[in-house]
This record gives sequence, structure tokens and C-alpha cells, in this order.
Amino acid sequence: MLAFLALASIALVGIAPQCQAIVIYTGWERHALVGSDVRLSCSFFSWRWTSEDVTFSWSYRPDGSRDSISIFHFTGGAPYVDNKGPFRDRLEFVGNPGRRDGSILIKNLDFSDNGTFTCDAKNPPDIVGRPSSVRLLVFENLPVQAGVITGAIIGAVLGLLVLIVVIYYLMRFLVARRVFNLSVSKHGKKGKGKEGSQQRQPRRTPPFSFLSS
Amino acid sequence: MLILLAGIFLLHIATIVLLLVATIDNSWWVTQQMTTDLWGTWVNQNGNWNLTSVVTNSQEYLQAVQATSVLACIFAILGLFVFIAQLFTLQKGQRFIFSGVFQFLACLCIMIAASIYTDIFHKNDPGQYGYCFILAWIAFSLTLISSIIYFVLRKKVK
Repeated sequence: MLAFLALASIALVGIAPQCQAIVIYTGWERHALVGSDVRLSCSFFSWRWTSEDVTFSWSYRPDGSRDSISIFHFTGGAPYVDNKGPFRDRLEFVGNPGRRDGSILIKNLDFSDNGTFTCDAKNPPDIVGRPSSVRLLVFENLPVQAGVITGAIIGAVLGLLVLIVVIYYLMRFLVARRVFNLSVSKHGKKGKGKEGSQQRQPRRTPPFSFLSS
Repeated sequence: MLILLAGIFLLHIATIVLLLVATIDNSWWVTQQMTTDLWGTWVNQNGNWNLTSVVTNSQEYLQAVQATSVLACIFAILGLFVFIAQLFTLQKGQRFIFSGVFQFLACLCIMIAASIYTDIFHKNDPGQYGYCFILAWIAFSLTLISSIIYFVLRKKVK
């Protein structure tokens, strides 16, 4: 058992350098309204501790274009935002590099901001990794997500159906119980007559079989 | 009498099958290169069929059609189970009201679905209605007939 553990730990330490690659996470797609702000998040996973020389860089490629321009770079502990390109005065760094968060905030969106944003993070000496891209879609009105209305209609109708069935059986149960209580409280011919009719009912409708006892 | 029962049962099964096929297959509208609605669009590119999402300006109406056609299937299937249950539990001489109600609800739902689709989608597009659209309207008439039969039918006395 101990030998197995020792072997496994040696194997892990031996293999670790090979699988040391930084993994970068951004969203897949972001939807936003014209004129609003959008936060593009970027974080990474790395086997190493977060170094002081960690860098984040964001680049932007407009829809339909093949060139991308760099719009943000964080290095040496200081952020550098775009001051000449399409996002000047609209870009803000809202991330926390110490917590491996390199998110940026873009304010006052316009239709020309549609495109792909790529985040590349490096955590020296862990520098081998694939940049991750998030697609920004700017809408005039937010479209309805697929399936929301469908699910709402189906759920509402089925819920209504269940509610009606429950209320129906509840009403029948309450009415029958009240009649039974009335007939029990009145002893004598009138009560006996009512009880007689009460006896016949349970056989016809199974749910009331427990009343006959 | 048994033949009548079998016939009614088969009619109900037929409506369920029609409703399921109309809801599941994406063939409410066809053109030369594509067949589309309700859930996706099959586009034929160089002999390969690719599934893409439905592109339309009336997303809300499409989702309403999806919801009501699914509800029609659910009501028809529930109605079948209710019919079988009522066969055993109903008192002699009584009508199959409960089963008729479920079939009528299914009829209503598929009518709403097919009507919305007919009125809103593909008014000026080239192409023609696919077989699922036709099946939906046939299912409407069959469920209507089935529900009327359930409302009129009485359980055999003796």
C-alpha cells in the first residue's frame, strides 16, 4: 500500500512537468443591449502558484474582419487600457490578477462592437496555453432565449390541470364529509335515511370507500 | 361491441401517433434545399444535410407553436391511460366524459398550434407546406371525432 502510494507520487511529480499547461476560461458568448455595459471575464487554471509576473492580454477581432488588434494588457502589476483604438475611454480593468481574474468592463456598447474578444494569460514559468475567445453580440432588444416561452406555457397548462384535478377531488371529499357529519349528528329516521344513501355511494366511487367504515 | 371498442382504441392510438410525428419531425415547411420547423432547419448543402437553428422574426410565436403541439401530445397520451382506467372503473351506463375531455384538450391544443403556424409563418416565402403540417391538421380532425365519440359513448349495460 505504502509502496503504491510512493510510486504514484513519484509518477505524478515525474508526469507533472509534461501536463503543465495553462488553461484559460472565458465565456462562450455574451449578449448585451446597445448602450449598456458588459463584463468580459477571463480566468485561468495553472499548476503553479500565481507569479508576480502574471500577464493578461485582451485582443479584439471585429465581425467579418480577419485582423485583430490588442486592446488591453496587464503586466508588471499594472494594467494598460486601450487609449487609441475603438475602445478608448470605454475600457476598464475590473479584474484581480492576484485571484487569477483578468476581466474587463466595456461601457456604452454599440453595434460596431460585435466581434470576438480573445484573452491570453501567462503565468511564468507556465506559459504554454491556448488563448480563449468570447463572442460579443449586441442587440437592440434582447431576444427571447430558446425554449423559455415553450417551457413556461407547458408548465403553466400542466400545473393548471393538476390544480383543477386536486381542487375537484378536494371539493368532493369536503362536501361528502360534511354530509356524512350532518347525517351522523342526526340520529333517527332522517339520519338513517341519509346514512343509507351514504352507504350506497362508496361502492360507486372508489375514492370514498374509506367513509363506509 | 368488442369491435367497436377496438376501433375506438385504434383511433386513439392513431391520433397519438400522428401528433407525435407532427411534433417531432422538422418538416412543417419545405423548399428545394431545406426542410424546417418546429425545432430546427435541415439545409441541404452539396448533398449533405446540416441541422441549424430556425431563423425567424417571430421567435415567440414559434415557441408557442412548439409548446401547444407538445401539450397536444401529452393530453392525447394521458387520455389513452384515462380511457383504459375508465373502462374498468366506470359505472354501467355512464359516459366516458373524462377521456373525452382529454381528447378535446388535445384537439384544442393542436388546433391552436396549427392555426398560429398557418397565420404567422412563411406567408410570402417560396416553398410549400411539409407533411408534418398536414398531419397536424389531420390529427386535429381525428381528435375532434375521437372526443365526440367519447362524449356520446356509454358503457355497456349488461
